[in-house]
Amino acid sequence: MLIPLVVANLKMTIRNRQALFWALAFPLIFVAIFGLFDMDKPPTTTIHIVDYAQDDLSRGLVQNLSQIQTFKVAEKWDETQARKKLKNGDIRYLLVIPKGLANTMADGSPAGLSFVFDERSPTASTVIGMIDRFLGQMNLELAKAPTLLELQPQGILSRKMGYFDFLLPGLVGMGVMTYSIIGLASAIALYREQKILKRILATPLRVRNFFAAQILSYLVISLAQAAIIMAAGMTFFGAKVYGNYLYLVLLVLLGNVIFLNLGFIVGSIAKNVNAANGLGNAVSMPMMFLSGVFFPKEGLPRILAIIVQYLPLSPMLDAIRGVALESKSLLDYPTELGILAAWIVVTSVIAVRVFRFG
Amino acid sequence: MKGNQPPDDVIKVEGLVKRFGTLAAVDGISFSVRRGEVFGILGPNGAGKTTALECIEGLQKPTAGQIQVLGMDLQRDAEQVKARIGVQLQASAYFEYLTLREILRLFGRFYPHHVPPDELLSKVSLSEKANTTVGKLSGGQRQRFTIAATLVNDPDVVFLDEPTTGLDPQARRSLWDFIQEIHREGRTVVLTTHYMEEAEFLCQRVAIMDRGKIVALDTPTNLVRALPTPYQVKVVAGGDASKDGLEALDCVKGVGFGEDGAFYLRSADAARTLPALLTWANQSQVRLEHLEVQPATLEDVFLELTGHALRE
Repeated sequence: MLIPLVVANLKMTIRNRQALFWALAFPLIFVAIFGLFDMDKPPTTTIHIVDYAQDDLSRGLVQNLSQIQTFKVAEKWDETQARKKLKNGDIRYLLVIPKGLANTMADGSPAGLSFVFDERSPTASTVIGMIDRFLGQMNLELAKAPTLLELQPQGILSRKMGYFDFLLPGLVGMGVMTYSIIGLASAIALYREQKILKRILATPLRVRNFFAAQILSYLVISLAQAAIIMAAGMTFFGAKVYGNYLYLVLLVLLGNVIFLNLGFIVGSIAKNVNAANGLGNAVSMPMMFLSGVFFPKEGLPRILAIIVQYLPLSPMLDAIRGVALESKSLLDYPTELGILAAWIVVTSVIAVRVFRFG
Repeated sequence: MKGNQPPDDVIKVEGLVKRFGTLAAVDGISFSVRRGEVFGILGPNGAGKTTALECIEGLQKPTAGQIQVLGMDLQRDAEQVKARIGVQLQASAYFEYLTLREILRLFGRFYPHHVPPDELLSKVSLSEKANTTVGKLSGGQRQRFTIAATLVNDPDVVFLDEPTTGLDPQARRSLWDFIQEIHREGRTVVLTTHYMEEAEFLCQRVAIMDRGKIVALDTPTNLVRALPTPYQVKVVAGGDASKDGLEALDCVKGVGFGEDGAFYLRSADAARTLPALLTWANQSQVRLEHLEVQPATLEDVFLELTGHALRE
């Protein structure tokens, strides 16, 4: 009794264009949009230079500075004008080289270079650090000091993780969540409205078999969804997934059980299909934006972040990202799995309580 | 009646009550349905027909009362009962993305024993629609399909909830044929309707329901015969025929004046009213332009029993 119902459900899904759109096209559009943007190319920072010294030393300094990869230098600026532009936010960094640089140096007293920057610039501290390091090196070179200690950076995390790599698991979670909540909720509401549920109740089919068939077919769909979204991101936009695929499958299934329960609940509470749609959106939208689909949720205000980490999508995404991007094991996520398990229990109990056939 | 039921009762309902909050949709009804009959539940919208039917089908839990179907207790053996009954719900649809054949096959799988889809479709003349979806059927075809779907498990008892509501007269006629065929196959049919002519045409026995109660239960003929005025005499008279004269005729219990300009005489015995009418017409020099005797209908029975019309 179970398998024919699952097969019938899958058939209906494939024939239902609108359902397919929400299941696949919607997340794939996001994949394509974000995949086409190169969010990871390090932005080149332009340093504007006001050179009062105009001597060999200052010219050498600027020359060396422009050879740093991420820097571009814009020379021959007038200080007043440059400061005004900086205040307006048109430029971000301004290096002022004082008059008589070479002479001051020759005296042996330190020469002060003013570095004016826009405090709102998110990369300011990095840039200041780089300039500082650059000047330190220049100092050593000018003092002709021998290199005693040399930093040899060795990247332990040899894998390059870009924004798109971070985003892709988020889109998988989003796709699975929205389809399961909204899709199942409106299907249940429609079946009730059209008395299909009641008609099924009039047969000897056991209620739990009906439930099981719905959940089973949606789990199959969600895995296909996850696989297609992942594959699209990896094939067309070069996203990297390093972890164990079996863990990913388990996490998708685990999270999706919660979303399906939510779908049952929403579909049972809603008066009709439209209401189910609206309510389904109301449930999934906040999770989509808060649970870190697009941005790390650490950026949220603290209280919000604390609440959000207990929403079902958050632990699911955290664990999926850990597995996919850092090759972690499921055992590294006991808290996340605990939260998911708690959600499964709670939503199952509520779903069985509120579900109604007529 | 208790303990004295004939053995061939397929449905026994005793003291069935279904309350929604304070409203008693079904207010203590008892009746039996005999094997192989077409049993009708006739009543206006809101009389409690559907609720009563759904209680017997195991779709709603009664507030009180006993229900036996095919000798089994509905509460205890719901699953076995459901395996042997066929249910058509009022205005229900089927999966919109499955073909007729796929739906029948799927529903067949829910039963231990089932009939091949193509056999069912040919029975209701929908063979050529086997690969289309329900959405592409006309109203009449759709109703025929829902009837085919009730037969998917070759049931002993078939429940039809207002099977012809919303159909045009022609489609209704053709559906009646299918229902009669189901009956000829030896199945018991229980149907609800608010069309008297449907109950009169199809049903061996009719229970008349109003406000949650059964107000009468008998064969259509007996129900009409039991009326104080089982006949209606329609008279169109020329000249100055007066109501008073007609009311005084033998066995006439009342006279109505129709919008069609005719008098309607409710008569306890047409065989005595007619000669009196002819004599009266002769004596008072009234020309009878039209004269018609009809038996009263279930509509009149309903009016008599409840004091209000079936459809208002």
